[in-house]
Amino acid sequence: MNARAADEQKVALVTGGSRGIGRAVVVRLARAGYDVAFTFRQDAESARATAAEVTGSGRRAFYRPVDACDEKEVAGFAAGAREEFGRLDTVVASAGITGALGWDAVSSEEWRSVFETNLVGQYWAVRTTASDLKKTRGSVVLVASIGGLTAYPEQVAYAAAKAGTISLARSLAFALAPEVRVNAVAPGWVRTDMTAGLYDEPRARAAIVRGIPRGRWGEPDDVASAVVFLASDGARFITGETLVVDGGNVLSWRAGRRR
Amino acid sequence: MAFSYSTLFLPGSVFDLSDSVVLVTGGSRGIGRAVVLELARAGADVVVHYHTREEAAASVAQEVRALGRESMVVAANVAKREQVERMVRAAGEWKGRLDGLVTSAGVYRGPSIEEVTVEGWEEVFEKNLGGTFWAVRAAVPWLRKAPAPAVVTISSIFGSHPGIGGAPYQMAKAGVEQLTRALALELSPEIRVNSVAPGFVRTDMNRGAHEDPEFHRAIARATPLGRWGEPEDVAPAVRYLLSRESDWVTGAVLGIDGGIALR
Ligand SMILES: NC(=O)c1ccc[n+]([C@@H]2O[C@H](COP(=O)([O-])OP(=O)(O)OC[C@H]3O[C@@H](n4cnc5c(N)ncnc54)[C@H](OP(=O)(O)O)[C@@H]3O)[C@@H](O)[C@H]2O)c1
Ligand SMILES: NC(=O)c1ccc[n+]([C@@H]2O[C@H](COP(=O)([O-])OP(=O)(O)OC[C@H]3O[C@@H](n4cnc5c(N)ncnc54)[C@H](OP(=O)(O)O)[C@@H]3O)[C@@H](O)[C@H]2O)c1
Repeated sequence: MNARAADEQKVALVTGGSRGIGRAVVVRLARAGYDVAFTFRQDAESARATAAEVTGSGRRAFYRPVDACDEKEVAGFAAGAREEFGRLDTVVASAGITGALGWDAVSSEEWRSVFETNLVGQYWAVRTTASDLKKTRGSVVLVASIGGLTAYPEQVAYAAAKAGTISLARSLAFALAPEVRVNAVAPGWVRTDMTAGLYDEPRARAAIVRGIPRGRWGEPDDVASAVVFLASDGARFITGETLVVDGGNVLSWRAGRRR
Repeated sequence: MAFSYSTLFLPGSVFDLSDSVVLVTGGSRGIGRAVVLELARAGADVVVHYHTREEAAASVAQEVRALGRESMVVAANVAKREQVERMVRAAGEWKGRLDGLVTSAGVYRGPSIEEVTVEGWEEVFEKNLGGTFWAVRAAVPWLRKAPAPAVVTISSIFGSHPGIGGAPYQMAKAGVEQLTRALALELSPEIRVNSVAPGFVRTDMNRGAHEDPEFHRAIARATPLGRWGEPEDVAPAVRYLLSRESDWVTGAVLGIDGGIALR
């Protein structure tokens, strides 16, 4: 690789890249020519498999177990990625968890873990990389959820955290402009380990599809395409936005359903 | 250094529109023209619609051919339903198919409420909202036959954020956004309908404003990204929303405004 090519090698950092949506993002970014640093929490085997896809596309992978809510661990990982790759163009914050089912089932412990992992962790991911992104005039994509836009009584803490993500994208877009763009995607029901319990249950699976005008569950790649678009220079005048990627789910309120 | 999206937007890899025919209304100038060229770069054959500027449309079509794609031009006043229907028919019959529709034809008028006339009211609604609706309606039978059909409407930041003056334009653009959601729902699962809502973009539409140095500076300062938008800033999003990569996106309205509405 000549010096100029090395200079133009793009680098992305993805939190929660071992599985699901984060993994699809890692793979798509690698195919688009990025070297990728990504975190996971505990599933080292999945992380290795994701990294193998990156190296299979001829790009470099750097991955470590990092608790997304731990400021010091996140900062340490960003430093490691900086040392490994020398620059950073794109940050995608996908690490996330859901909590116990039921509006009155959330313990204070769980409020904390759901908020810290989904929302506060995204803040640390951006805070610890903002100076790198400013240098490259890079961009950030936060993974929110349509749960942050509609009523989600089954997961009140998760829904509130995801609404927080949409707000965070706006505030950080303002704070980091003009050098760095910050946007969010709000996925609907996507087939990953997070939703496997519902997908694997035929009645729940079908009930969910009935609420999706496009008539199918989402795939991690549906979301990854949107993330890649927002991260790319094609979105150079877009900041503070939340792109809904849900097969039309939020359009489908009760009076709006086909009978 | 700015990221070159050519690495992400290679025809044949991602956001590809090969083997598709797309009609772009208002393709002769401004945002529509940039969209036409972006779609051609993505591999689409493009029908370039215009109203009066035949020469401008012909030269856009020529640029499409220079990119290795096919193109034709079609005239219509989008305020006239029969003309809109004729336009869509001509576009569909060109290659016997229509895979996508982008509705960029439009006009801006900014009168105060006292200055609004009946004619002015009707003009703004017919051209911006009626023109969009009747074009989509005429295109539906063609789109239903396409393998992965999609519509992208062009709203405006004034479709959801108020400005002082031009209330009818703002109401028409709000109408375009609701049209987008209503038809995304009604035409599911077959046809996707999305919208982009540009902020301040330098085109003939607002030449008076952006050529006034003071106004130009005021908008650039008010925009977090620090500048006016260019038509080329809007086009890639339209490309993404027409491509199969956005197969699970429908009813979305995407702002492209440099963050000017954030507060
Ligand atoms: N699936 C959906 O329908 C859906 C819908 C809307 C939004 N989302 C959002 O999309 C994002 C990804 O969800 P998914 O469905 O892909 O979930 P998933 O398949 O369960 O994957 C979650 C990923 O996050 C990582 N992770 C979890 N907690 C972490 C922590 N404390 N520190 C670091 N990494 C952590 C996991 O690492 P390990 O592999 O090590 O566990 C894994 O890589 C989440 O933010 C989720 O809220 C999902
Ligand atoms: N520029 C902005 O800042 C901005 C911001 C938000 C939204 N928009 C929207 O973006 C769209 C394109 O605007 P633009 O800035 O690109 O405008 P523009 O440069 O003035 O171009 C307008 C286009 O619409 C066509 N058109 C005008 N009146 C028509 C009619 N009665 N029938 C058929 N076609 C007609 C024109 O055709 P001829 O060339 O034949 O005249 C031309 O192709 C509009 O919907 C506008 O509301 C623009």
